[in-house]
Amino acid sequence: MMSRNSMYTNPKPCKHLADYKLRHGLSGYNLLQEQIRTTPSGKSSVKNHQTEIPRCCFCNGYQKRLYLCLICSSISCSSHTLLHSQCENGHDIAVDIERSELYCVLCCDQVYDPDFDKIVMLKHLMDLPRSGNGVDVSAGRRSSKRRRLCSALELDLKKTKQLVSMRDLRAKSCYPLGLRGLNNLGSTCFMNSVLQALLHAPPFRNYFLTGQRNHEVCRKRSSDRLCLLCDIYVFFSAVFSGDRTPYSPAQLLYSWWQHSANLASYEQQDAHEFFISVLDGIHENGVKARNTGECHCVAHRVFSGQLRSDVTCMSCGYTSTTYDPFMDISLNLDTGNCPSTDLANKSLKPSDNTYVSTLLGCLDLFTKPEKLGSDQKFFCENCQERQDSVKQMSIKRLPLVLCLHIKRFEHFPVRRMSRKIDRYMQFPFCLDMNPYLSSSVVRNRFGNRMFAFEGDELDTSTEFEIFAVVTHSGTLDSGHYVTYLHLKDQWYKCDDAWITAVEEEVVRASQCYMLFYAQKMLYYKANEDLVCQPVSPRADPFLPIAGCC
Amino acid sequence: MIESGEKERLKELLRERLIECGWRDEMKSLCRAYTRKKGRNNVTVDDLVHVITPKGRASVPDPVKAELLQRIRSFLASTAT
Repeated sequence: MMSRNSMYTNPKPCKHLADYKLRHGLSGYNLLQEQIRTTPSGKSSVKNHQTEIPRCCFCNGYQKRLYLCLICSSISCSSHTLLHSQCENGHDIAVDIERSELYCVLCCDQVYDPDFDKIVMLKHLMDLPRSGNGVDVSAGRRSSKRRRLCSALELDLKKTKQLVSMRDLRAKSCYPLGLRGLNNLGSTCFMNSVLQALLHAPPFRNYFLTGQRNHEVCRKRSSDRLCLLCDIYVFFSAVFSGDRTPYSPAQLLYSWWQHSANLASYEQQDAHEFFISVLDGIHENGVKARNTGECHCVAHRVFSGQLRSDVTCMSCGYTSTTYDPFMDISLNLDTGNCPSTDLANKSLKPSDNTYVSTLLGCLDLFTKPEKLGSDQKFFCENCQERQDSVKQMSIKRLPLVLCLHIKRFEHFPVRRMSRKIDRYMQFPFCLDMNPYLSSSVVRNRFGNRMFAFEGDELDTSTEFEIFAVVTHSGTLDSGHYVTYLHLKDQWYKCDDAWITAVEEEVVRASQCYMLFYAQKMLYYKANEDLVCQPVSPRADPFLPIAGCC
Repeated sequence: MIESGEKERLKELLRERLIECGWRDEMKSLCRAYTRKKGRNNVTVDDLVHVITPKGRASVPDPVKAELLQRIRSFLASTAT
């Protein structure tokens, strides 16, 4: 499982590098630039002459790591760099020839200098085939980021004090506001489970509770037509009213059926499909999307992010980049199987039974470079023919609320059968998405660089906190969805009409199907707003608070 | 072999195979474990290279070795005349 630095803060240069910079500035780097060559896979090496084999000037060896002195260009192998530095005073900084990385001879360690990396990167970019090579060195557009952040806070801060006034004195228990069982209306646990998660997605919840959606003047309702948004508004009001008796979201179900006619039935549906369909319904019902720019319906404002897909030609290195929006990310389970065909000789991984799938492993898999099959050869603009290529996904822009969907249902259209993958997957409660951002993923292609890349999203948080887990148990045809909610440091199990407080371990051990993470600052702000009644001494937190359904 | 660029190509191939079969991830976790033990500020690249090299050499899977040897052999054979 790969893990990358979560924060690319520039390490302080060692004394020797600092001295070198003072004395020589960038002159050594600039002279070196000419000699750097980059392979299509992204590796930059120092090559004096194409055919000459670099050798250590002391031992003539060529098999160890070789280092080129930045001052006199003499080459030494790893055993003799110190010797060179002793012979020539001040010749302390060298470059690893094969990797184009800085090395301090006296510290015997790799060192980092953004100026150096910039020069290597510039040379790399100059060498790449032109037109859309997928790497943009221009400064990031901060204004759009700030606007997005502001609108996120807007959703959150505006009139949140109204929530306090909604505390209902009828609430008898010590449970937080907004916790209410949902009756099963006939295999509708798929809907109930997703609704519970939506009820507690901070910006989504705030939007519907603070009356930003004014259903009094809804045009559809006044003409007696169904309006999904109004029904959701009513639903939120009911759940947050303080009444703890289980609620039947019949109107909402009916409204949703109207929208997704193909899914209207009493059969068990897929919770993820319902989720996508509800968001789609909100989008359609809401503010008309502008042709240019982002949509401002609540569904998009809360859940939408942007994915980046890079397809790189393996012959010349030309990269084609596309951006696509997403409302959630579907992940394949990482199983630890290596794709090599020689399964019999796997001397490294003794047995697959011991490998535990994790969310980070799935995300690693998602952002891993994938060689496209020979039947999927990509037409390279630069080579002007179909070539073998490598595809890599990364996240260009994170949403306020991140929904991660674990693909547990495998469908085989040819064999006309489907099956469920029950494999357990471990997931964290705190998630840092930095390693999966486009800036991190693309940066990693070029070795160990400190170069600020594509306007690094330094002011946008990449830290997320989990607030809801939708789990599935049972088989494909007869299964049951249950949602776990994390409110005010306590986990609650929402099983249709039954709500119980549970321990963290129960949630960790569950078979997750959809994971909902909110940006950390939104999550903590939201939890402050949930007012809790004082604990009644006789209240047993493990007694279900709902009656039977 | 170096002049023709074949060595570079073979190195790329080797790199690919070693990543595919998990060898690189294994080395990474060995490095991580070593760094954790010694403390992040007490480890240099040289240390890591010294510690990892014998383990790395020993754990290259046989099919990978075989494939690379085969390619080298056939290359040498093709340029022998």
